[in-house]
Amino acid sequence: MTTGGCPFSRRRFLQAAGGAAGALAASALFPSLLPAAGGKTVDVGVASAASPAERARKAVSLVGGMQTFISRGDVVVLKPNIGWDRTPEQAANTDPEFVVAIAGMCLAAGAKSVRVFDRTCNDPRRCYVNSGIKDAVERFARENRVEDALRIYHVEDRKFVRTAIPGALSIKEWDLYRDALEADKIVNVPIAKHHSLAGITLGLKNMMGIMGGNRGQIHYRLSECLVDIHRRVPVALTVIDAGRVLLRNGPSGGNLADVKAFGKAFASRDGIAADMVAAEKIFRLVPRDVGHIGKAMESGLGVSSGAQIRLVEG
Amino acid sequence: MKTTRTLRRISQWVVFILFVFLFLNTEYKDNDVLPYAVNLFLRLDPLMAGAATLAGRALIGLVWPALVVALLTVALGRFFCGWFCPLGAVIDAADATVFRTARRKDAVPVSWRRYKFLILFFLAASSLFTLQWVFLFDPISILIRTFTVSVFPALNLVIHRIFDGLYRAPGPVPAISEPVYGFLKSHFLAFEQPVFRTSAFVGLLFFGILALERYQRRFWCRNLCPLGGLLALVGRFGLFRRRITEEGCTRCGLCESDCRMAAIGGDVAVTDHGECIGCMDCQAVCPEEVIHFSGKEGRKPMAVDLTRRGVLASAALGAVTVPFFRVEAHGKSPNPLLIRPPGALPEGEFLARCTRCGECMRVCIANGLQPTWFEAGIEGMWSPILVSRIGYCEYNCTLCGQVCPTGAIRRLPLQEKRKVKLGLAYVDRSRCLPWAGQSDCIVCEEHCPTWSKAIVLKEERTLTTGGEWKMFKKPYIDEDLCVGCGICETKCPLTDRAAVLVTSRGETRSTGVLAR
Repeated sequence: MTTGGCPFSRRRFLQAAGGAAGALAASALFPSLLPAAGGKTVDVGVASAASPAERARKAVSLVGGMQTFISRGDVVVLKPNIGWDRTPEQAANTDPEFVVAIAGMCLAAGAKSVRVFDRTCNDPRRCYVNSGIKDAVERFARENRVEDALRIYHVEDRKFVRTAIPGALSIKEWDLYRDALEADKIVNVPIAKHHSLAGITLGLKNMMGIMGGNRGQIHYRLSECLVDIHRRVPVALTVIDAGRVLLRNGPSGGNLADVKAFGKAFASRDGIAADMVAAEKIFRLVPRDVGHIGKAMESGLGVSSGAQIRLVEG
Repeated sequence: MKTTRTLRRISQWVVFILFVFLFLNTEYKDNDVLPYAVNLFLRLDPLMAGAATLAGRALIGLVWPALVVALLTVALGRFFCGWFCPLGAVIDAADATVFRTARRKDAVPVSWRRYKFLILFFLAASSLFTLQWVFLFDPISILIRTFTVSVFPALNLVIHRIFDGLYRAPGPVPAISEPVYGFLKSHFLAFEQPVFRTSAFVGLLFFGILALERYQRRFWCRNLCPLGGLLALVGRFGLFRRRITEEGCTRCGLCESDCRMAAIGGDVAVTDHGECIGCMDCQAVCPEEVIHFSGKEGRKPMAVDLTRRGVLASAALGAVTVPFFRVEAHGKSPNPLLIRPPGALPEGEFLARCTRCGECMRVCIANGLQPTWFEAGIEGMWSPILVSRIGYCEYNCTLCGQVCPTGAIRRLPLQEKRKVKLGLAYVDRSRCLPWAGQSDCIVCEEHCPTWSKAIVLKEERTLTTGGEWKMFKKPYIDEDLCVGCGICETKCPLTDRAAVLVTSRGETRSTGVLAR
């Protein structure tokens, strides 16, 4: 795909940029995303705003506000994508302001504690620092005097627990992170981006960050594994950061020319529904055609068709 | 008159604590640039500086502090060994705690101290002819290397095991142990358990040096240390020399029997100023208080234990050795897995300068830099090699170049470092999962850090082992873009040998782009 000289022709850039920008208009063509006429539906909030924090707040309020998901006294695990030694501009990790805004909402909704971590791909320290997330979370905690309640920390090997996954499609058991298993609520805060195997990475893929062991091996049957994790570790709320979107060379990216300003956020209590809407709106993909999203729709763990989704835009 | 001895002990402690502080800070701590000159100790070492300069045929600006130490030794005497050397401090501590009561008396003749000079002349001559062996005997290099690849990882492991045990213990135990563990982790322990090749061997050598105390006090410093030998030669006429006011001396002999260096000989008023390390013990034990340290000379000093024949023979041996190493075949056909750190000089200059201190391995963020056994020949032992199956070179990291004390690894700005090729990756198509028609896998491509990916996926029809044709995304290497960082090899999900591997082909330094 890429060549030694200039990796981007103008044509490719315009195609990509036009693709993303036109996604919203295009999505209207899919009847599946029109508000369902009746029956039981799941809300997906689609928020547009200028800043990451505003987008996060608006998206959550569109689906009922954080108190709908978080109860007083909850121990919350907030799982952003901190996978790569990249800066926020490179859009390989969740935007730090976005993460902090969600953390603040969790605390405001009465969470007893909010724990932030990710099992990274590059050196964990570099990822935490250069993503800007460590600094942003710690600064927020300091300024609001919630250092005990809001903490970001590194994953430790000893805290992975061999966990059975009843009804698994692929992994009958795996090492999962204890804090995620023991949390009252998990808030999944991925960034939307291209992924060379999964096609795209959104909420379902982001939960790989609680997996221990040789994660490379699950790429053999990635879609099934992601559904298995989703089965074992239910997510209370998914909020997808689509402020900047990495359109190519994901998931790690690096080149700013691959990043497109999109200015949106998606939120839903149903992680599958959130991924479906984001896949369509951002990447103009048919959700069922994205391997792991398709598998998740068949799993019965959440919505199984677009007809069950009600879009709430704002 | 015990004040100066106390001062000397304080100095040893302070220096050792500084040594440990710099050692612990030779690590990424959320900052791309290390805030301290963590490589200070090697840069203070005149032996290493001299050898690297001689063998590398270059003036090395980084080692200017060594010149200061050399000049101070000329002015003051061999104080370095008694007051400053961190290995000396460790040896003294081992002596005081373990060996003082267990020593066999007179097991080793005093005359053995000439060997350190012979070693020194051997090393100097071989360095002059470009073969740098000093790392084998240099005390600073030994100590940092041992701490890096051996002592610290072992200590780290033991502490982790203890606290892991307490963490799983019932009742209130974790509530007590975890805060302690947290404190240790943020201040002393490694971020991740380091592992190193040669670690057990390096540890054994180190404890061997300490165990020599059983036979003689400061055995290493007296008989073997070439840095001690060098400082003895240049410090013989320093300002601070032991002197006795003979009128008051009762010839009780306490000073002589107490001297850790056997620098007092025959007559208690006679001192070997090259051997005296100014530890001030004799002054402290003298009941008559007639021992002083000053520039004045009481009696004619002892001569150095050196014969012309010894000097010439050891130097000649050092020189004669060199061509035998220069005809080793690896000079013509280097080991393809000899991947050097980013910014490393061309091999000849690199080995001439590399002190084998292990600072680069200590600071390497992914634990990828490892000591060689014999990949670079015997003369290249313990030099750094990137073993990608253990860890890779982090694309945005420049730490190894920041800590190298002699510039064997050049300090490169990040933009320049990213362009350095350590080698090139290749795909083993018989093992690679999609290539072999086994399954999907894009792990190497997803981790590839270059901004147009050097690993490109092409979707191709492939015959599976089951006999059906399926589409697989197969990795190809773009050799213009690949920097040989090895993250693909590290992350390849095959558990034993990776299906994507890096060899030194195409490394920047051999093409001369980075050559001086």
